[in-house]
Amino acid sequence: MATVSVAASEQYNYDIVRKFAIMTLVWGAVGMLVGVYIASELAFPFLNFDIPYITFGRLRPVHTGAVIFGFGGSALFATSYYIVQRTCQARLFGGGLSTFTFWGWQTIIVLAALGDVLGYSQGREYAEMCWPIDLLIEVVWVAYLAVFVGTIMKRKQEHIYVANWFYLAFILATALLHTFNNLAVPISMFSLESYSLFSGAQDAMTQWWYGHNAVGFFLTAAFLGMMYYFVPKQAGRPVYSYRLSIVHFWALIFLYMWAGTHHLHWTAIPDWTSTLAATFSIMLLLPSWGGMINGIMTLSGAWEKLRTDPVMRFLIVSLSFYGMSTFEGPMMSLKDVNALSHYTDWTVGHVHSGALGWVAMISFGSLYHMIPRLWNTNMYSNKLINVHFWLATIGILLYITAMWISGIMQGLMWRAFDDFGNLQYSFVESVAAMHPFYVMRALGGVFFLSGMLLMCYNMFKTIKQGSAEPQTDAVAAAA
Amino acid sequence: MKHDKIERNLGLMLVLTMLAISAGGLVEIVPLFFIKDTVESVKTADGKEMVHPYSPLELRGRDIYIREGCYLCHSQMIRPFRDEALRYGHYSLAAESKYDHPFQWGSKRTGPDLARVGGKYSNDWHVQHLTAPRSMVPESVMPNYPWLIKTPLDTSDIGLRMAALRVTGVPYSKGEAEYQQNVKTFGEDVAKNLRIENAEANLRAQAASGNYDNNPSDVTEMDALVAYLQVLGTMVDFKQFDDDYFVKFR
Amino acid sequence: MEMLMWFTKFENTKPLALVIFFTLFCMILYYVFGSKQRGERLEDHKNIPLQDD
Repeated sequence: MATVSVAASEQYNYDIVRKFAIMTLVWGAVGMLVGVYIASELAFPFLNFDIPYITFGRLRPVHTGAVIFGFGGSALFATSYYIVQRTCQARLFGGGLSTFTFWGWQTIIVLAALGDVLGYSQGREYAEMCWPIDLLIEVVWVAYLAVFVGTIMKRKQEHIYVANWFYLAFILATALLHTFNNLAVPISMFSLESYSLFSGAQDAMTQWWYGHNAVGFFLTAAFLGMMYYFVPKQAGRPVYSYRLSIVHFWALIFLYMWAGTHHLHWTAIPDWTSTLAATFSIMLLLPSWGGMINGIMTLSGAWEKLRTDPVMRFLIVSLSFYGMSTFEGPMMSLKDVNALSHYTDWTVGHVHSGALGWVAMISFGSLYHMIPRLWNTNMYSNKLINVHFWLATIGILLYITAMWISGIMQGLMWRAFDDFGNLQYSFVESVAAMHPFYVMRALGGVFFLSGMLLMCYNMFKTIKQGSAEPQTDAVAAAA
Repeated sequence: MKHDKIERNLGLMLVLTMLAISAGGLVEIVPLFFIKDTVESVKTADGKEMVHPYSPLELRGRDIYIREGCYLCHSQMIRPFRDEALRYGHYSLAAESKYDHPFQWGSKRTGPDLARVGGKYSNDWHVQHLTAPRSMVPESVMPNYPWLIKTPLDTSDIGLRMAALRVTGVPYSKGEAEYQQNVKTFGEDVAKNLRIENAEANLRAQAASGNYDNNPSDVTEMDALVAYLQVLGTMVDFKQFDDDYFVKFR
Repeated sequence: MEMLMWFTKFENTKPLALVIFFTLFCMILYYVFGSKQRGERLEDHKNIPLQDD
């Protein structure tokens, strides 16, 4: 653009993006390390070492918190601040407010982990954080919304690019979900413990409305925003169909919110809610695949990039995993399939094919694109990106294959009858049968984690050779 | 109207997005608070509610259950299938968790369902199993919880806890009027245990008489947790109902 | 009143909702892909990310 005469570093606030990008790497490594550890605890229970703070029950929320909110959250802050500035051609709104979101968010992740190991838990999956932390999240989130909306309002580009829509929906939905799912009555002003406002069936509905849409908006809509910017950028060609992206957006955000109840099939909630949720889950396949096709077809005519560009490979393979898990999801939401899959490792495998295959892979691709540009340099080693890609892919495949087998096996063993109409297996026989697959899953995690650590090393070297200030010759070239 | 307008007007986009994401929750969740059949009525022949709030000791046990993250590996929700009926018992009713703040239905069975574990095993079994699971079940992957029996139970804030739950709508009673109401609803035996005024004394009395951890002199976290496990799924007496009574609430 | 009660029965609401949503879906599809001129306008903006360097 002709109007851009100042260097990008002055026009845009990249400092905040750099901070969040680094923390994405840190939380990714920490969260995945904890993940590997708790996976190993299930395979070899002596690893609990009779220490309260590291038992599976307390470390599991540390893992989910660090990867979803630490790694995923930081990646979203970094990319959203990067994308909104560049597509609006405007510097980030709010000055110090964005710095506040950084320190606030990092404090939240650390406090949440501390609370988890010390045993302060609300007893709600993915919302274990105790009430003072919930309030802090609320404050930081409002600041985030203000920064994001403020920047869009300052835009020099009249049209709001579609990636920003997805980020916007994610910020709004997260605020809505977080607020209503964490309504609770504290025991006293000075206690970290509280009791949820709702109980039983209503509480279950609220929690899974939250739980499912944390996946739908935090881990999907927002990462689709990432996709709509970084896939076209890396491919050097515009998104396949902008019209499709509009349909994709409205359909996805509308349909997702109805589907949460499929986590409660066959439970003590009214049947109609669960039927309704299953119906919407099936419908959700349409926008999900629409989005996937839109992303992948962006590469149409430049397929050779898949061979030559490892970053492109991360992005496109992440979309393939997205397509796979958004097919698996609706299938598992069918009541008859769910009767078998629910309560088993199949669900865990499904989550990770989405979380590792889609969320983590698209974040890796985006970071590999973004970090060299933030530090005005090139990646230290393209070869290591390639190695990372294969480590990650092998890791995911090991993980989900192990969980498919163990999950389906569990489901079948639990419902097996002998010739006399008695249960064929005791519960503990199914536990024993899982052992080899739990080992295999932990191994898959080790692969994925080593890839993550390799990325950290590669990024460390890249950042070291680069500089936050643009090189003088780059400025000269731009002028 | 042109979609173009939305693409250029941030305020309009914010409002429409809000509408789109609110619809699902409004239609699916809000009615549950108003439709009467969501939580079925379960009463004895003389009109007393079978499902009642936890006693102070059981409530503290439940807190420990949540603290240790038991819900991450154990569900408390039996589904209406033949195999689950054989393995765990009658399928779970919404009424059975109506005083559960938060619900603990769970999403994963790395270990078995616990919705009706109450009364299945002896107190001694639970104590030994919680302390060292593999000494009872060699294939188990459950962590050992040796600190439960060594840690005295903090009973100081039990009154505050019950008062907080009372705010959410659990009928723990403050004062004589509420107590009398509870006597009417649940019967005298239960109602006595729901008085916030006597919480700590009631808690100690139940721990002493129940003798859950085989050590009558101290009240430990083990006492509380075992007391909680032993009450799970025992409140509704299914023998008093016809087989198809509960079907109409599904 | 009779009419209103009809809507509260879920065996009626379900197919009704299906018809409504399907029609809506077809209308959106028509809106987005139906007219060439509108299509060109919509496609206009796809180059925004590529113009930012």
